[in-house]
Amino acid sequence: MSMVKLAVQNFKSSFRNYLSLILSMAFTILIFLNFQYIVFSDAFAMLGEQNKDYIDIVVNAILIVLGCFMFFFIWYSTNVFLTRRKKEIGIYVFMGLSNQRIGKLYMMECLMTGILAMILGVGFGVLVTQLFQMILLAISDISVEIRFHFEPEPILITIAVYLIMYGIFVIKGYVSIVRSSVLEMVSANRQNEYVRQKGWLLIGKAVVGIIVLGAGYYLAVKDGGQEVMGNVLIAVVLVIIGVYLLFGGFIPFVFQKLEKNKKFLYQKQRTLWVSNVIFRMKKNYRSYAMTSVLMLCSVTALATGFAMKMRYDNIVHFRNTYTYQIVSVRQGIGEEIADLIKKDNQIDYSNEIPMLQLDPSLYHAHYEGEQYVLLSYSEVAQAAEDAGLAFEMEEPAADELIEAGNVPLISIITEESGITITLDGKEFRQTDDVEVPYLGYLQESMSFYIVNDQVYREFQSKGQQLYTYNYRIDDIYNYEASMDELDTIVSNTPDSQTGRIAIDPRNPEEEWIKILYSVGVFMFLVFTLASGSILFMKLYNDAFEERERYGVLRKLGFSQKTIEKSISRELLMTYALPFLVMALSSFFSVHALGKMTHTSLLTVNVVSVGVTLVIFLICYLCSILVYRKNVFLSGISR
Amino acid sequence: MNEKKVVEIRHLIKDYGTKGFQTRVLKGIDLEIFQNDFIAIMGPSGSGKTTLLNILSSIDKPTQGAVMLDGKDITKVSNQELSRLRRDKIGFIFQDYNLLDTMTLQDNIALPLSLNGVPARECIQKAQKLAWMFGLEEHLQKYPYQLSGGQKQRGATSRALITNPEIIFADEPTGALDSKSSRDLLERLRTVNDQKKATILMVTHDAFCASYAKDVFILSDGMIQCRLSKGKDRKEFYDRIIDMQASMGGDFS
Repeated sequence: MSMVKLAVQNFKSSFRNYLSLILSMAFTILIFLNFQYIVFSDAFAMLGEQNKDYIDIVVNAILIVLGCFMFFFIWYSTNVFLTRRKKEIGIYVFMGLSNQRIGKLYMMECLMTGILAMILGVGFGVLVTQLFQMILLAISDISVEIRFHFEPEPILITIAVYLIMYGIFVIKGYVSIVRSSVLEMVSANRQNEYVRQKGWLLIGKAVVGIIVLGAGYYLAVKDGGQEVMGNVLIAVVLVIIGVYLLFGGFIPFVFQKLEKNKKFLYQKQRTLWVSNVIFRMKKNYRSYAMTSVLMLCSVTALATGFAMKMRYDNIVHFRNTYTYQIVSVRQGIGEEIADLIKKDNQIDYSNEIPMLQLDPSLYHAHYEGEQYVLLSYSEVAQAAEDAGLAFEMEEPAADELIEAGNVPLISIITEESGITITLDGKEFRQTDDVEVPYLGYLQESMSFYIVNDQVYREFQSKGQQLYTYNYRIDDIYNYEASMDELDTIVSNTPDSQTGRIAIDPRNPEEEWIKILYSVGVFMFLVFTLASGSILFMKLYNDAFEERERYGVLRKLGFSQKTIEKSISRELLMTYALPFLVMALSSFFSVHALGKMTHTSLLTVNVVSVGVTLVIFLICYLCSILVYRKNVFLSGISR
Repeated sequence: MNEKKVVEIRHLIKDYGTKGFQTRVLKGIDLEIFQNDFIAIMGPSGSGKTTLLNILSSIDKPTQGAVMLDGKDITKVSNQELSRLRRDKIGFIFQDYNLLDTMTLQDNIALPLSLNGVPARECIQKAQKLAWMFGLEEHLQKYPYQLSGGQKQRGATSRALITNPEIIFADEPTGALDSKSSRDLLERLRTVNDQKKATILMVTHDAFCASYAKDVFILSDGMIQCRLSKGKDRKEFYDRIIDMQASMGGDFS
């Protein structure tokens, strides 16, 4: 029989075993292809050049993440595959095949698996691109018409990326087979000699792991200024390392301690499953850690999506606080402007706020063209009341001020108090930072500081006194009707200088943010399903190894019920441990994110952990069924 | 024989194959096993040794006949009852030890008790006592991969004994052992039989192994052909078994 024929036959006979591998790889390819399509699709071009650019940046970032994910996923699955195949393939050694030829056999089988996965992934991927974009846009609440068109580039890129990654690991497997000894190959599945690790090594790993993880959590939520970005990056690395050490050190340590405690161990089915968990942990801790980190990513991605959506809504709301804003050197023209507007529109609410634009020589600006404007506390209070805006601040003391800022999408500075600002040689301490749009759109482009009335009067001689007249109309979409009348009041002469701002509620400038939301939801589902399926695949493979062990138990006369209970407990641990580590870590990561986006994300956190729990529960139940089926196929009739 | 009857086999018949193409492997076996018996069943290949043991240990069902264990016919009881019988009344020793490689020897020995809800203290005491009897007290905290074949089989025997079963079924217990380990194991089985009044039924093809038993039944062509009983001397018994084997011919393995 030729090698090719042998490989084909092997592939056919163990197709069922490959199925989970093929399907999960095909799914990864499908996702990658679909995001690749967005870059080449013209659907988002209709949102305008700038939005398209931003969306491309987002999608490219996601592609990098997905690429990394694909890389690790292929690495992981080919590795599992290799260990399982080594034993079967190893038998050929006894038939006189050289390692090189066995390696070739492995490569051929791998190629068949890989190419089948690719065909499935790309095939279905192309079919669902339109659906995918429609769903993405629908969740994002963006209405764009999508036309189906066939693009070869994304397909070629996807295939190229996949084949390169897959090729690397197939060659790696080949090299590993060529280099391994006969004994190693035949006993690849039976390396049970290393069940326990040395106690001191475990304790070391456990202690370092807890310290590293704790440090990561601390850095993630630590308040600070510019250094927050660095802290968060370090925190990500620390948490990943910490989680690995937790599964490699702390958890095995705890279980080995439990195993030593015979009073605990010799109860119910514990002898069975505790020893199996220890045995498995040593072998699988990397997978557990990986799923933990992956789930953490997925929950954080979802939280990011939600935070972005809330931020987007806030920004839109912020900007549309007033429909018209007139800034003028003239005092008391509010009524006059209101009359002009009333010709075409009904006014919902309005207010007037005097402000003091400081001379640039009085302060040191952070960036060029930054303008510092002072507001008096009581005037802001009055304006807030007129417009029905929240006003909850205390009057600042003589050396204090409050910044009235805008709503940033994300702000790395999480510690605002303690900032000092020098105005005209006098130092002021910033006590608070409010995001209420007292000055509407103006607040996005200028730095407003609320000071007490006394300080305001002191500075009055050192700057330009201006007045803002703000109006919100009932039908904001009819804002253009009053523009002509309002333009009559605009003036450029120094003594009557007046400017006008009108807000278009349909402004699509920030539409791209919405895509972050749907992408976040999507990434959450993909990663959660992926981590569920990684554990499922792992257990599916393990079930084959366990057959013998459970066969012994049945020969010894233990009832099916006892064995089933033991299996349930053991699998529960497999799913519960990564889940719990994720749930704990996600609290910190989402909390950190919430701080940076000034959004409360606790509900999002709880809901996303809940959804993960449901998905895991389903995977767990499926695993139990599959596991039992596999284990009880083991030859004993009753 | 004034001892209690542990197992009674009544006219056991086992057929294999589909209708019309049946082979009768066991052709009506009657056997009574009393407490404190040490029986070896020998026979050439295809004589039905393994089939008989499988039926006795309730892994297989007979076509006809009954096996009474502890007053119950194990060929007719429910699965649940059977599990209970196997767990509480029968101890098994296999040729390939069948220790669980994920747990220590102590956990392996204590397994049948700990899974039955016996308090931990009692599990530990019994496991240690048996380990002492079988010369394993120094190896209790080791894993199967750290033990020799002989130690593993002595461990497996301890596990079989820990529930104080009514009877122990041993399937070629020395099949994978070297001669020294075999002798060691058999000596200890005999001690257990003598001192603890344990009842043992052993299937073997090895005359040396069989000579440690009190009675040897020779199975051939699905029937018990003859029964040899030990006199005072094991060596003499061994010679008689060899002679019998030679006179019967066939491949004893």
